[in-house]
Amino acid sequence: MASFILQTNKLCKSFSNGGTLQHVIKNLDLEIVEGDFTVIMGSSGSGKSTLLYALSGMDKPGMGKVIFDGKEIQGFSNDELAVFRRGNCGFVFQSIYLLENQTVLDNVLTGALIVQKNSKELVDRAKELLLKTGLKEEDFNKYPNQLSGGEAQRVGIVRAVINNPRILFADEPTGQLNSASGKDVLDIFTEVHKNGQSIVMVTHDIKTALRGTRVLYLRDGGIVGDYRMCPYGEDDEKERRAGLTEFLDKMGW
Amino acid sequence: MKILRLSLFNLKKNKREAIGIMVLTFFTAFMLIIALSNKIKVDTAFDESFERSGSTEYAVLFRGEKYRDGFRHILNEDYGITDVAQGRMLWAAMVDAYASDGDTVSYNFSFVNENTERKLESFVKGDRLSDEDIEALEHPLWLPTNFQIVKGHKPGDEFTIIAGGKEYPFTIAGFYETGLMSSDGYGFKLILSDEDYERFTNIFTTSLDCEGVMLMFNPSASFDYDEYIDKCSEAAAEDLGNNVRNNCVGDEKINETTFLSIYVLMIVALSAVTFVSSLYMIRHKISNDIEDQMQQIGVLEALGYRSKEISLAYLYEYIIVGSIGAIMGAVADIALTPVINHGMSVVLGRNVRGSSDLLLIALITILIILAVVAFALLKARTVKNFPPVVALRKGIKTHSFSKNLLPLDRSRLGINQSLAFKGLLGNLKSCIGIIICIVTAGTALLFSALTFNSFKDGAGGLIAMMGTDTDILMVNLMGNADPESTREEILKIPGVRKVLIRHDGDYLSVKGSSNPAVATVFGDFGDAENIKPYLGRFPERDNEIMIGLRRSQSEGRNIGDSISLEHNGIEKQYIITGIIGSLHNGGSTVYLTTKGYERVVINSEPRLLAVYPDKGVSLTELEKTISEHFGGTAKDGATDEEGPKDLDERIKAVADEKIAVLLSQYGVTDFDYAVRIGDRLIRGNSRSYIIKDIGSYEGIIKTQLVPIGETTRTFTFIALFLISGIVGVILSIISASEVRRQRQSLGIMKGLGYSSKDLMTQIALKFMPVIIISVVVASVAVVYLNSFFWGAIFATIASTSIPVIIIGDVFLIVFCYFVTYLSAGRIRKISVNELMTE
Repeated sequence: MASFILQTNKLCKSFSNGGTLQHVIKNLDLEIVEGDFTVIMGSSGSGKSTLLYALSGMDKPGMGKVIFDGKEIQGFSNDELAVFRRGNCGFVFQSIYLLENQTVLDNVLTGALIVQKNSKELVDRAKELLLKTGLKEEDFNKYPNQLSGGEAQRVGIVRAVINNPRILFADEPTGQLNSASGKDVLDIFTEVHKNGQSIVMVTHDIKTALRGTRVLYLRDGGIVGDYRMCPYGEDDEKERRAGLTEFLDKMGW
Repeated sequence: MKILRLSLFNLKKNKREAIGIMVLTFFTAFMLIIALSNKIKVDTAFDESFERSGSTEYAVLFRGEKYRDGFRHILNEDYGITDVAQGRMLWAAMVDAYASDGDTVSYNFSFVNENTERKLESFVKGDRLSDEDIEALEHPLWLPTNFQIVKGHKPGDEFTIIAGGKEYPFTIAGFYETGLMSSDGYGFKLILSDEDYERFTNIFTTSLDCEGVMLMFNPSASFDYDEYIDKCSEAAAEDLGNNVRNNCVGDEKINETTFLSIYVLMIVALSAVTFVSSLYMIRHKISNDIEDQMQQIGVLEALGYRSKEISLAYLYEYIIVGSIGAIMGAVADIALTPVINHGMSVVLGRNVRGSSDLLLIALITILIILAVVAFALLKARTVKNFPPVVALRKGIKTHSFSKNLLPLDRSRLGINQSLAFKGLLGNLKSCIGIIICIVTAGTALLFSALTFNSFKDGAGGLIAMMGTDTDILMVNLMGNADPESTREEILKIPGVRKVLIRHDGDYLSVKGSSNPAVATVFGDFGDAENIKPYLGRFPERDNEIMIGLRRSQSEGRNIGDSISLEHNGIEKQYIITGIIGSLHNGGSTVYLTTKGYERVVINSEPRLLAVYPDKGVSLTELEKTISEHFGGTAKDGATDEEGPKDLDERIKAVADEKIAVLLSQYGVTDFDYAVRIGDRLIRGNSRSYIIKDIGSYEGIIKTQLVPIGETTRTFTFIALFLISGIVGVILSIISASEVRRQRQSLGIMKGLGYSSKDLMTQIALKFMPVIIISVVVASVAVVYLNSFFWGAIFATIASTSIPVIIIGDVFLIVFCYFVTYLSAGRIRKISVNELMTE
């Protein structure tokens, strides 16, 4: 029986818009299986990012439950959520959000040192991960403004995985990248997933979604479609794309 | 229009900072106007009161038996001064009286009768009883207005003077204005009836008291006091130095306004602190606004706005904020004029009336607004450093990537500390303002803390600066008494800790100086408890001397120099071994060893017992106990009017009183008498008295030092709160704006799992090195400031309590930490999403 790393029960999230309450997520039930590469898709405004932030403890849900590894987190205080995130989650953002006044290596270590003690092993591992993503040693002391978008996102990924999180969340990680950089970044995600990393990623890009093992389609605050695929690289890419396209067509993509 | 909107937007967006700047500008204007306009008002009040009194500018009092009519002729012939008022006056030192609250206090008094008063001054009366009521009074008394304004007496109240243990009650007929005699320096002038004046001339006759002829005049340009006294001495064929007292309008004004000047100086210093702080806040706010609106600036520039025009957006804001703050300060001053006038009157002791000088207030207000606007303009002009492309790139041109300061992989600190210090090192330039602010405010705060500590128990701070042992009884022995055995006897009295046999130091002339010295004499200065050299050491040999800082400064005398002292024609030289900060006798005291004193005051013997009580023992009680133990003092005997009924005892009492007068007032050392009544012989002698008189500084300390101490304590206490408030406002605004400026970075870090507490700690820690450095600099600065301040004003040395500085430092650092930490608390209220995407 598959073990769920993340579950929701009647999850709701609303925003006030000019005095009117807008229900973005409505009574959403969801199970994320450990080791899966789950992709959340949907049209603009369907609540993808809102769901991701509610699942990851970046934001508090309005109602309902978010259960991480059997533990309900929706009632956590902000500081408890921060402690929860640092121990269990990694984040990759569309806008990358590197700390502008810190070098590449310091950006990665800022994420690591809140969990781990400073050690040579940790620094070596950060450097090794950066090298693996294709960055060079001379890039380590560069500042974010000296990097290309693709390079910066690689730093963002390394910062997200340096603590070996239980689950890695990604919000449109290739949204601001050109196709070549985007592919490099997705290759890293695939590589990370192959090593057993659970991933939940929001995207509206089919090429990105193809990297997943499960695609959830979101509409009007609820999941209306659930499509499963084998891990990327284990099947024919054309058939994989056709299957996903068919699913998305059915969803009204 | 767009520019004005941007300006109003800035005001609305950062209301907290704008209000902070407004409050600081308000206090700057408020305090500066109080200080400067009231300093002028107090000077004017003194001058007007002086003029109304009809007083002349100079007064010289010659001891009666030393006065010659020729002295007046010298004024006329040598200096062209023809208009000289002359009358008899009695000057009495340290006279006890009951205060309006019934407490015993001590004053220096000058006594005159009404006839003399009309010769010397115009006798301008203030509040008073009716003429009929005054006529009916047995012992009418006129007091200077000071006693009404400061000491709370009223016409018709009883005013009791205590002399030799006996009370002399008077009724206050009214108050009058006097020019030269309205302070303790020269003595408050009291106007008595002829009978009471005569009575007091027989009572106040110690070596420190002086009954004689007063000459009052306006000096001509050629008049020189020292030269005049030399000429009088020549005419009298004797040194008059110790037999003359003088006062002039300049000295009186200084005497009366010294503490007001100190408070004015302190208020000006406080307003400087608030002004520096407000300038820093302006700099900080403009920097932040420009940084925040960099892209908007780029757009405006791209649309064709000149940088000068955009700078105006930041200027309007400070014209509005600065003007509101400064004008409110001015209005508050005007509104509070009656309260301030009353406060000034109480400190000055003369009526301070009238409104403040509106022109001056307007000038100060305009100057403050102009200074604020000029400073804002200087900072706002930095907009020109950002051409459109750079501004649209959020000023990226200015980033320097040359060095990664404090790289995390090499840091051995915790992550919060590392990130805090990294943030600090990356933004060192902005710390200069914080350093200036904290050093200025910290120095003011530590100075206030030191001063408050010195005055926390009233006059303690000033007593410590006295340069003499004050908490003692001074027991003068009769000529027949044996000092050593009396000392032993007093030592056995409960409550007595220590008894020293000393000389009662006499006045000594100082060659080359118009300022005679009073000698403080110790066999071994190691026994002194409140005398500490500021420079050098105590005198140890008979040719060594220590002098006061004021004499050192005014006469240019230093350690190693020699100084000549003269007494009754005997002149001796001494080498200066030490300099002491001393308020005692206006800093004119010289410190000699017993043998050193006996070199110049020959044939003198130490007959003063300095009695040191146990802690907590009342000096008044101890005085009573000692007096009773020895069967009363000669002085008490001389003024005791209560007589027994029996004839023998009455005769004996009269004889004792006569003896006491001879002993205590005429220098008689031994006396025997025999009275025959019929076949009976009544005998007696002076040896029944052991003690001549007992004195202490207690009363004079209560009168002169305690009010000053209490005012200073209150002032510094308020200053402590005000400065802490200023520091708190500045840091809370800086901390809050730091959160706003870095909201995206903070959001990212929250996303990475940093808790609000972690981030608040980082922000608080970021300022800590700057604050600690500033506090250390402030601590060093306050040591020099404390020494300079008291040295410059009183020529004395204030003790600089290192523990107080350390406590102050710790308080400041902890206070700053918590203010910055708590002010960063808005991080808590914002979700991680909002922080990143705001």
